[in-house]
Amino acid sequence: MSIAFIILLLPLVAAASILLGIRKKANLSAYVSVASAGICFLLTLGLIRGSGGEAGAFTWLSVGGLELKIALEITGLTRGMILVVTLVGLLVHIFSLGYMRDDAGKARYFAGLSLFMFSMSGIVLADNFAMMFIFWELVGVSSYLLIGHWFQKNSAAEASKKAFLVNRIGDFGFMAGILLLWGATGEIGFSALRETLEVQTFDPSLLNWAMICIFCGAVGKSAQVPLHVWLPDAMEGPTPVSALIHAATMVAAGVFMLTKVTFLIIAAPVAASVIQHVGALTALLAALMATQQSDIKKILAYSTLSQLGYMVMAVGFAGFLHSGEAVGAVASNAGFFHLYTHAFFKALLFLGAGAVIYACHHEQDIWKMGGLIRLMPVTAITFLIGTAALAGLPPLSGFWSKDAVMAVTQNSTPLLIVGAITAFLTAFYMSRLCTIVFFGKARSQAAREAGEVPLMMRAPLVILALGAVIAGFEFAYGWFIAPADLPHPHGALPLVLTIIGVAGIVTGYLLHRGREKDPIRVEVLVRKFYIDEFYLFLVRVFQDGVAYLAKAVDQLLIDGLIVRGSARLTVGVGLLLRGLQGGNLQRHVFLFGVGIVIVIYLITIALG
Amino acid sequence: MLPYYLEICVVVLGSLMLCMELFAGRRSRAKIAMVGVAGLGVIFALLMFAVCSPGEDLQYWGIYHFDKWAAFYKGLALISTLLVLVMAREFAPVFKHYTSQDEEKSGIGEFYCLPIFVCSGLMWMASAKDLVTIFVSLELVTMGFYVLVAFMRRNVGSLEAGVKYLILGALSTGFLVYGIAWTFGVSGTFNLEELSVVLAGDDIPSAPVMFAFALLIAGIGFKIAVVPFQIWVPDVYQGAAMPVTAYLSVASKAAGFIVFLRVVDPFLAAPSIREPAIYLMVFVTCATLIYGNLAAIAQKNIKRLLAYSSIAHAGFLLMALPALGAAGTIAGPGPESAISFYLAGYLLMTLLCFLVLTVVRVATNGEDLTALEGLGKRSPFLAFAMLVGVASLAGIPLTVGFFGKFFLFNIAIQNAMQNGLWIVVFLAVLGAATGFYYYFKIIRAMYWEGSVSEGEVTGLKVGRLAMLAIILLVVAVFFFGIFPAPLLGLTL
Repeated sequence: MSIAFIILLLPLVAAASILLGIRKKANLSAYVSVASAGICFLLTLGLIRGSGGEAGAFTWLSVGGLELKIALEITGLTRGMILVVTLVGLLVHIFSLGYMRDDAGKARYFAGLSLFMFSMSGIVLADNFAMMFIFWELVGVSSYLLIGHWFQKNSAAEASKKAFLVNRIGDFGFMAGILLLWGATGEIGFSALRETLEVQTFDPSLLNWAMICIFCGAVGKSAQVPLHVWLPDAMEGPTPVSALIHAATMVAAGVFMLTKVTFLIIAAPVAASVIQHVGALTALLAALMATQQSDIKKILAYSTLSQLGYMVMAVGFAGFLHSGEAVGAVASNAGFFHLYTHAFFKALLFLGAGAVIYACHHEQDIWKMGGLIRLMPVTAITFLIGTAALAGLPPLSGFWSKDAVMAVTQNSTPLLIVGAITAFLTAFYMSRLCTIVFFGKARSQAAREAGEVPLMMRAPLVILALGAVIAGFEFAYGWFIAPADLPHPHGALPLVLTIIGVAGIVTGYLLHRGREKDPIRVEVLVRKFYIDEFYLFLVRVFQDGVAYLAKAVDQLLIDGLIVRGSARLTVGVGLLLRGLQGGNLQRHVFLFGVGIVIVIYLITIALG
Repeated sequence: MLPYYLEICVVVLGSLMLCMELFAGRRSRAKIAMVGVAGLGVIFALLMFAVCSPGEDLQYWGIYHFDKWAAFYKGLALISTLLVLVMAREFAPVFKHYTSQDEEKSGIGEFYCLPIFVCSGLMWMASAKDLVTIFVSLELVTMGFYVLVAFMRRNVGSLEAGVKYLILGALSTGFLVYGIAWTFGVSGTFNLEELSVVLAGDDIPSAPVMFAFALLIAGIGFKIAVVPFQIWVPDVYQGAAMPVTAYLSVASKAAGFIVFLRVVDPFLAAPSIREPAIYLMVFVTCATLIYGNLAAIAQKNIKRLLAYSSIAHAGFLLMALPALGAAGTIAGPGPESAISFYLAGYLLMTLLCFLVLTVVRVATNGEDLTALEGLGKRSPFLAFAMLVGVASLAGIPLTVGFFGKFFLFNIAIQNAMQNGLWIVVFLAVLGAATGFYYYFKIIRAMYWEGSVSEGEVTGLKVGRLAMLAIILLVVAVFFFGIFPAPLLGLTL
């Protein structure tokens, strides 16, 4: 059994042993889970130094031309991703030891984390679509369990349900896409697909449709417009979960999957254009919404949406035709590079937010905080480092990766402008957040009483801050992407981006310094473009309309008279007779006859 | 051992149980159900080890065929009857409430015997490849169900359902016979194999053949509940006793489908009528998918909800039909295998749900979604079992329902790429997504709705046999959801 298999299965063993055995012993459960994450990280260090290739394939199901295999594939990007998953995973596990110390459902929480680690590793290591899809669903389940961890809270239960259902919509498209692709090419493994596409030519419209369907999966999981609505609500889960699942790893799975099928994006230019524009739209809209939120986690959630939009946009450029030639893997490498650096600074920001929330007795409203830099300096400084990285200030990691992404968008001026505006907004809302939370004076009792968090929670912050600083340098990423394979910006782009970042930060600081409430209030942004309301309206119309229609058909046409409900339980032959005399049964028979007539009528049409 | 001994064994078992009911004392009468369960178990073992010889197609007297499909569907009939008996035993208190508290007058022993006779009919259906045999075995099954549906004689709902089922069933039988008569008139044969030879000929008049086809579809479509012949389903499902509903929705549907496949096959294989026949099938499929899924949304009664969902499942199953006898090849399991696999999975998950619902029904006396409220706190395991069943019905990966849907969608998509029937795939995707919504209502009721006060937190009472069945079904749903190969292997 290879190292990769152990990395995959160890968290499953941990989750199973917690759920089936030691659930009653909360502390032991937590240590088992943390230990499994730790061992996985150490094994990962071994794995990424070794050679790549496939590991331990065995056939899962083989029926007439359909062969599903359990096989792990280790390529360059896989190594980067598995490192992110296990490293951030480990730090979040450790942070959780402090954050969830007194939680009643601690064992359940850690079992959920381990289950998540198992499923996420599965997505990263899978060498074919079928296996990836299964793990894709499993991360959905574990995310559902963790968002709804505090299920006694109605909002948490609702949020977990929303996340699950919205993801299902995307996943159906994903599955349809996989089947389409498989039907067209007869292959389901990534490398086999790539080879087939190289030697054979397929109907481009079919590939476009297949790619768009597959992209639906990424739209759901990576929370792109229009399925982005679940991610902000998912912040109802414990904050470490938000850091791990809803910032660094699971939501990035959509982007990761897209980078794995870069060859397909290149072959499907229409789908590629859809991907670019969806990504750009998400980046811009989410950044706008982030500027007007007052919940610290929601701001970070919208920021995550926006950054995911960047990545998706970059990956979409792989199929962009630049003077007759696709931009190619360079573009998806840029997207992945941003995923990699983003994992560090966004996990850092979320854990920092978790520390702030913990210190302020679970207060999440930034307008009730203030002046925290004096009370919790380590948290504040690491948070500021994360902010600077996100705003793209040199020489922090975010600067390099944002440069790479923007270099790709230089192929298309409108998207370049969208990217630049988003970059400004990013710096602006983060500066707003920091100014209000860490500077000025405390705005509530909770903020005045805050103190530095325990070492168990500080240590992950410091390590991630280090990552946020160095992840953009060649020695930190060169082992999975050669620098030559990354796009290089033309002209003064890096300088312009730096100026935009600084301008955003300064504007944010000057506008919000010493304020008690937002100086600018844009209702449409506060209400998130009314998208949630719109969906609610759609659902209501759908439910009320269609369900009413269905019920009307059911009750009026088919039941005829009301003999349902409570009457059913009462004993009396009279009702039965009334039901019969009232034409209930006659109507049934009549409808049956109508059915036959329809069928025969159709036949006469079909026969011409 | 000759395969038709199995049916004889089942009939003997049923007669034996009837004798027990008649002659045995009060104490041994209580064991009738156990005798049935044990007997069916033994017969299933005989099927698996003594008879099973897939690969060969054995024929007896030209009317009884034994091939791998026959073996598979006989197995489904036996297993579902066995589980229905377990369920009926659990349901006994409700029966007595609506019949008579007196053991002798309640006729509960007869209630245990009837499914056995129905089972022999189902098994015979699996072997029927001749229109007359199909008709006779179909009627044997339906007669049994007429009695079973109306069995709770002091429950107006049950009686009403019985009358509706009887009259509509008789009507559909009429159409079926009419269809058989037309088929015979055109082809001069009842035998399906000879029929396919005759229909493949050039000088076949297409109009009367299609007319016969439509009538056959109406007759058999009634049994498997496809639109527009589904009208009876919601009322009868709701009115009948829980075990009977389960039996109708699983065993009757599975046996109906094997007959449906066998009858449709010669028509689809005939070049001159293939196109209009597919046209008709696509219409029926689309209508079934739309109606089943949409109507399920509004339901508050669980049995009614499951009734509509069973219509929807019939729609998914029909998706694979246009691929029957198609020119192109299909990667992965063929339509017959996919349908059989789906039906086997459907059996597991539906009976799992109904077993839990039976327990809930006995304990709370309710059949609405509200009856499930607080189940997550009262009986966590039962709620989990129900969750597994519902998740599988919705087709979530790692449950058997996922692979069932996966194989069917695979066929439908490949088929659509060959002949452009994308509308079916589109409606099926939409339907499956809608399915999540209404199945979720069940989960929500169990875990989030209704506040259970501290004093009320008592587990529901479950019989030992029923508990064992629930555990086995949960394991099976997961096992075949992770390793579908053993089950799929039986159908290939």
